[in-house]
Amino acid sequence: MTTPCFCSNDWGGKMTVTGFRVPLILRGTVIEDNWIPFGGRRGGVSFESPDVALYGDQINLRTPSLMADLYKLRFTDIVEYLVNLGERLTLARNSYWEEAFQLARRTSGLSDSILHAQFDAMGRMFDASRLREAAERACGIAHLEGWVEMPNQSGNKGKARVRAFGARAVHVIAGNLPVVAAMTIIRNALTRSDCVIKTPSNDPLTAAAIARTMIDMAPDHPLTRHVSVAYWKGGDDRVEKVIYDPRGVEKIIAWGGLASISHISKYLQPGIDLVTLDPKLSGTIIGKDAFVDEDTMRHVARRLALDIGLYNQEACVNARVVYVHSGTDQAGLRRCERLAELTFEAIRDLPPSISTPHKDFDRTLREEIDAISYLDDEYRIVGNSGNDGAVIVSLNGEPVDFSATLGCRVANLVPVDDIDIPVRSVNAYTQTIGIYPEQLKEELRDRLAFQGAQRVVSLGAAGSVGLNTEIQDGIEPMRRMCKWIVDESCDGQMLEALAHAEEAETQ
Amino acid sequence: MAATMSPPSGVAGFEQSVTQDAMTSLFERMMQDPRALVDGDYNEMMHWSREEIDAYQDKWAQVRFAQLRSKIPILEKLADGQGIQTVETKDDLAPLLFAHTTLKAYPLSWIEKGEFAKLTKWLNGLSAVDISNVDMTGVETIDDWIDRLDQNTDVRVFHSSGTSGKLSFVPRTVADHTLGTINAALFVRDWRGPNSGPDTRQNHIPVIIPTYRFGASASQRGGERNVALLGGGEALYLYPERRLSADVVSLAGRIRAADAKGEQGTIAISPALAGKRDEMLANERNREADMNRFFAEAHERFAGRDVMIGSTWPPLYEWAMAGLARGDVAIFGKGSVLTTGGGTKGNHWPEGWLDRIKQFLGFDNIFHYYSMSEVISRCLECEMGHYHFPPTLIAYLLDPKSGELLGRDERRTGRMAFFDTLITSHWSGLVTGDEVTLSAKEETCGCGRTGDFLEYEIRRYSEKEGGDDKVVCAGAPQAHDDALLLLERLGR
Repeated sequence: MTTPCFCSNDWGGKMTVTGFRVPLILRGTVIEDNWIPFGGRRGGVSFESPDVALYGDQINLRTPSLMADLYKLRFTDIVEYLVNLGERLTLARNSYWEEAFQLARRTSGLSDSILHAQFDAMGRMFDASRLREAAERACGIAHLEGWVEMPNQSGNKGKARVRAFGARAVHVIAGNLPVVAAMTIIRNALTRSDCVIKTPSNDPLTAAAIARTMIDMAPDHPLTRHVSVAYWKGGDDRVEKVIYDPRGVEKIIAWGGLASISHISKYLQPGIDLVTLDPKLSGTIIGKDAFVDEDTMRHVARRLALDIGLYNQEACVNARVVYVHSGTDQAGLRRCERLAELTFEAIRDLPPSISTPHKDFDRTLREEIDAISYLDDEYRIVGNSGNDGAVIVSLNGEPVDFSATLGCRVANLVPVDDIDIPVRSVNAYTQTIGIYPEQLKEELRDRLAFQGAQRVVSLGAAGSVGLNTEIQDGIEPMRRMCKWIVDESCDGQMLEALAHAEEAETQ
Repeated sequence: MAATMSPPSGVAGFEQSVTQDAMTSLFERMMQDPRALVDGDYNEMMHWSREEIDAYQDKWAQVRFAQLRSKIPILEKLADGQGIQTVETKDDLAPLLFAHTTLKAYPLSWIEKGEFAKLTKWLNGLSAVDISNVDMTGVETIDDWIDRLDQNTDVRVFHSSGTSGKLSFVPRTVADHTLGTINAALFVRDWRGPNSGPDTRQNHIPVIIPTYRFGASASQRGGERNVALLGGGEALYLYPERRLSADVVSLAGRIRAADAKGEQGTIAISPALAGKRDEMLANERNREADMNRFFAEAHERFAGRDVMIGSTWPPLYEWAMAGLARGDVAIFGKGSVLTTGGGTKGNHWPEGWLDRIKQFLGFDNIFHYYSMSEVISRCLECEMGHYHFPPTLIAYLLDPKSGELLGRDERRTGRMAFFDTLITSHWSGLVTGDEVTLSAKEETCGCGRTGDFLEYEIRRYSEKEGGDDKVVCAGAPQAHDDALLLLERLGR
């Protein structure tokens, strides 16, 4: 991979001798001072960022009354602001965005062509109708905008109303896909929240680039003033003991696994609501109908390739272990092998804007695949030359022992005789299951849910369509980012009557 | 359990196999046969010229490949795949190094389903000795399987610590295990100059082993050889009657692997295995009392005597601190020996910890080395804090991403790989998971020893990857389970 040229930068975030500079954004103010170095230890990208510990007392919003400015905005104002912001997130016209793209080229597992497509199209996430639909589906616009009366058909004397308020939140975000940064800023605005985004070392700049664009666009706008973006090394006590304090934060929305959560868990106490977006893996179930004829197999292989290869299999939604109801007798294994060949071809044919040979193929994974290549009776490996990826058929009917590390466009097809095997193989760490055909999805979905699956989709739709980004696999992060506040009204005479014991008529 | 252990054998073959001709140098004799080292001066070998080292390594890379290519099926497949029929120099071996995963590529389901004939067939693919005809009828556990091979072949399989849940297996013969032990006796005697240390092959000294006596992990296999060949049969063990069960040390990982398969992955733990597990967990819970008893017996039986201790630093530090607190100093004889490897295992002890250990032990004859159990040669740490490759062990430095051989024109950091010219029972060319900094080809260490050396700091690539603050949404977290964590600690 070639090193990009950064000469065109016209702002403070210039590349240094050692790498990049990632500014600290504090509620509309860009801090470029007190730089300290990070990263670069293992040939990764090194960058500098201000020492957040020196700004500890300014990071959280300690004064809740300062949330009031967000409530002078109408929902339409918020949408308009986000639409304007989205229009500015283009590579051609935004040097912050360009630099975030350039840094992502070095930190991300995604190839340039995919990243380019992602950065170039990110503005579409800020489309007015999409924003409205997301708010409507996740919380209901009326609930975000005002007090909504609750249905009352049981004869209760009085009225209850509910409204979704924003919260003061810290978001510990994932960096494997740059959309996570944009999604976080959109959700923060739609819910009228105040966020501190703690960026990860695999994407330290995208969130800051959006925040800087907001500052340039509308420096004093409440939505601009309620976004902070900081990088500190996860687990840095100097920073975290100040930031994870219930006097300054109400919610923590944390992506990532045990390492990420264990840093936070020691600061948890009543008053802090933790929303975890755990790492998950996704799978696939392919029914018998896939094998009715060669054309159908090709059709299935293309859809499967999409679920495997999208974003170079860097995402949680990607297919990894694929259970195939082909049967495990000789004819069944041949059917499954044929599907593997067609799938590998289809992976190679995916458009470069969504998938390419991996630029940094996981060496440990390669070693695992090479090691099992001597076990001819157990596995058949299709592909695995260069960085194209591979499709491994488990002739023994068991997923490979390294199935949790599948990536770089490597999938494992597991032929089975019994469709119950994939159902029973789902566990609490399963996210999406792509299923072919539709009928089978309907047959299996309840049972898959009992086992732990979060989301079932038509084969091929695991990540390519995005019908539910606001609900995000049923975790409902947007809804949970809100504080749901209740207003209950009762008749005063009735209440007074309750105070007189003899006449009391409680409900 | 003791009944399953074989008596020491193959000793005589090495003690007398190579006739020493006083008129030829060790280099010339080892060019004829590397095993000539057993009658040589280790220190002399550590001062060969670069030309001699290269000539020796090129020749034995060439010969070992020619000898083993057709005997080791997986090597043959790898070589066929690469289109390599012969090699001329040691660098030609670089494409033929096994990834460490090769030694544990078998499917875990074989073990859960008791398919030990398949496991044998697979291991046969890694072995230069044919083990394919051993009948596996009645074998139900990994321990049974290892015992069956012990009883019916010259191969004494050893296994890794198994923290990942999958044990690596190395099919090493008694003869190669023995050569490893003699190699250690040689460096103990000659590392700081010819006959600068005790000759434990001639004058046996008791061996102190702060772990299980029986079992097939590298430390149990090595301990058995040490006691038989260098200790004259006299030894002290932390657990003198107990076996480190391969089934139990791998159990935590196997349960985790089963958990990852949801309901489909329920693991059948037989009553026998459950018994072994409970016994080992009970051992771990009583560890402190056992350690105290072990230390007390060490004082009682061996105070003032010369002994040989093979241990990692953490138990020694624990022992020394407890001893010094009681006022014990200089427990053992001046001629005692400590061999140790693996560093401090992430412990951060106060400055001067090594001096305190020495003060407690009462001797300075400490040999700290870097190596892997997959090879028998050792890279000893010198006075300059460098780990020195003996000529018997070929060093390869690889690009961590591409796996390509890195140039040796300057000191470089990369992934370590080895080939051990002493080993004939399995293919010893192996790529490690370690990041090291290797000397330039023309560099010579200030200690005066020749050949390749490593800088002191060595890291696991996996540790670095875990600590870099990357956050991703894809992955399979595991339930945090104290019982499983305790099981995982067993094998370390």
